[in-house]
Amino acid sequence: MTASDLAALSPLITIALMVLAVMLAIAFYRHHLVTFILTLAGITLAFLMLPVAAAQAPRQVTALLILDRYALFYMGLLLIASFVVALLSYGYLDRHEGAREEFYLLLLLATLGGAALVASSHFAAVFLGLETLSVALYVLIAYPRTRARSIEAGIKYLILAAASAAFMLFGMALVYAETGTMEFARLAGVLAGGGARQGLLLTGQAMIFIGVGFKLAVAPFHVWAPDVYEGAPAPVTAFIATLSKGAMFALLLRYFTGLGDQAYQSFFLVVAVIAIASMFVGNLLALVQTNVKRLLACSSIAHLGYLLVAFLAGGSLGSTAAAFYLAAYFVTILGAFGVIAALSRRERDADSLDDYRGLFWRRPGLASVFSAALLSLSGIPLTAGFMGKLYVLIAGVRSALWLMVVALAVNTVIGFYYYLRIAFNMFRDVPAEEVSLTAPSLSLAGSVALVALTLSLVWVGVYPSPLIHTIQSAVAGVVP
Amino acid sequence: MASIPMEYGLLLAGVLFALGFIGVLVRRNIIFILMSLEIMLNAAGLAFIVAGARWMQPDGQVMYLFILSMAAAEVSVGLALVLRLYHEFDTLDTDAASQMRG
Repeated sequence: MTASDLAALSPLITIALMVLAVMLAIAFYRHHLVTFILTLAGITLAFLMLPVAAAQAPRQVTALLILDRYALFYMGLLLIASFVVALLSYGYLDRHEGAREEFYLLLLLATLGGAALVASSHFAAVFLGLETLSVALYVLIAYPRTRARSIEAGIKYLILAAASAAFMLFGMALVYAETGTMEFARLAGVLAGGGARQGLLLTGQAMIFIGVGFKLAVAPFHVWAPDVYEGAPAPVTAFIATLSKGAMFALLLRYFTGLGDQAYQSFFLVVAVIAIASMFVGNLLALVQTNVKRLLACSSIAHLGYLLVAFLAGGSLGSTAAAFYLAAYFVTILGAFGVIAALSRRERDADSLDDYRGLFWRRPGLASVFSAALLSLSGIPLTAGFMGKLYVLIAGVRSALWLMVVALAVNTVIGFYYYLRIAFNMFRDVPAEEVSLTAPSLSLAGSVALVALTLSLVWVGVYPSPLIHTIQSAVAGVVP
Repeated sequence: MASIPMEYGLLLAGVLFALGFIGVLVRRNIIFILMSLEIMLNAAGLAFIVAGARWMQPDGQVMYLFILSMAAAEVSVGLALVLRLYHEFDTLDTDAASQMRG
């Protein structure tokens, strides 16, 4: 391993070292604010290492990891999201009883797993990154130890994630048995050469896709999403909705576009069915939800369906659209869960629709942020969500995926109904004695995060070209 | 070792995997579910070893070691959650811990 290899790996190494630093800091001096600041410093440091790594890009470090602009772009996105989640967690955990400090340790660990996932070019790296992310998430979900729902959600997630990891591993083993290699690049060469038996190979690829599908919570692998979203603490839910899904999607894009047209064609129909099913299942389930976290879980199923349209469109336009959509979705969903986290009390999260009745008259600031996030989720112009959806639509039209485009449009209309229902709910009048939730005061970190998220939500919606240029140069190396 | 065709090994791993998956689906006791998960993960590990043997590469066994250590980490977290489950619900039955609906 040479110095330039180390430089290319520096963001990953920094996060790993910061995990150790936070762990030692907790062992010697247990203090919430100190741990929090150390975590933020660690994430910032890792982010500052990205240009150092970019100077070496693209660079293959051992057979396991490839640090190209694509990986570094997604790493940057994950680090920003993790930074925001940490900001949102501070106020939330301050009201929490029991140990708070380990939360940040696990947050960094999960971020490390996600960052390894987007840079992997080998099955072993995929597995290690995925498990680092998952095992940290099990604990994060069940972090409030006295809440029965969090424990229930943690156990459900553990069982399903472990089962899906087993599916993925078995699929990898089958692919390896047929091709004799676990590296993505060489895999593509073997597949192009032909000769491998299609039966085992297809079974293997399908099992890998089941594992990916579980993590992305696309129909029919979506059953865990509403329960886990509801049971997990609000900042952790934000983490699952952004980092865990984003990292997995980036990997999916790299893996399947790298395999070449033949593998792509054989999965086209399946992915198309999954995409359409996700959109309809997610949106129709969301119509009947009265719990805001469950509702956002169902909406995330639909949003992943939209993303798969960009994946199917393929090519450089499809990948750019997918990355842009993910970035816009990150900003939006972090804002939405940030408001939920800010309104939550010690006993339970603010997840009932009634908690939001007349919110505008009590907390105009939070209500505005939440409205902006909901408008962006539904895809109203001048928001990030609108630009993202538009980009995906353009990619779909260019590739003549007419059925998908129509499904996307229909589902956007269904989405309006339930997003705007929450938004209208916030402007309704409530008698003072009926207010079910005496909202806690907002922490400084949380308010900074929410203001920044809202500003970037509008900024990306109004003036998206800087982001698009960044993404285009990032994607250029991976997609032909 | 070379005299055993790869298909037999994969078939054995596949049967084990299916048994583990059925266990996860039908068992209600959380301990048995965790055991079934272990069987699934180990079946995948066995498939890796069989595949590695076919290509005469150590990669399959390396993957098995990874799986082994990650499964241990997973189970230790799982057992910690089992303790919390027992404290909270006084049972190891997963149906009891299924309050969220909708």
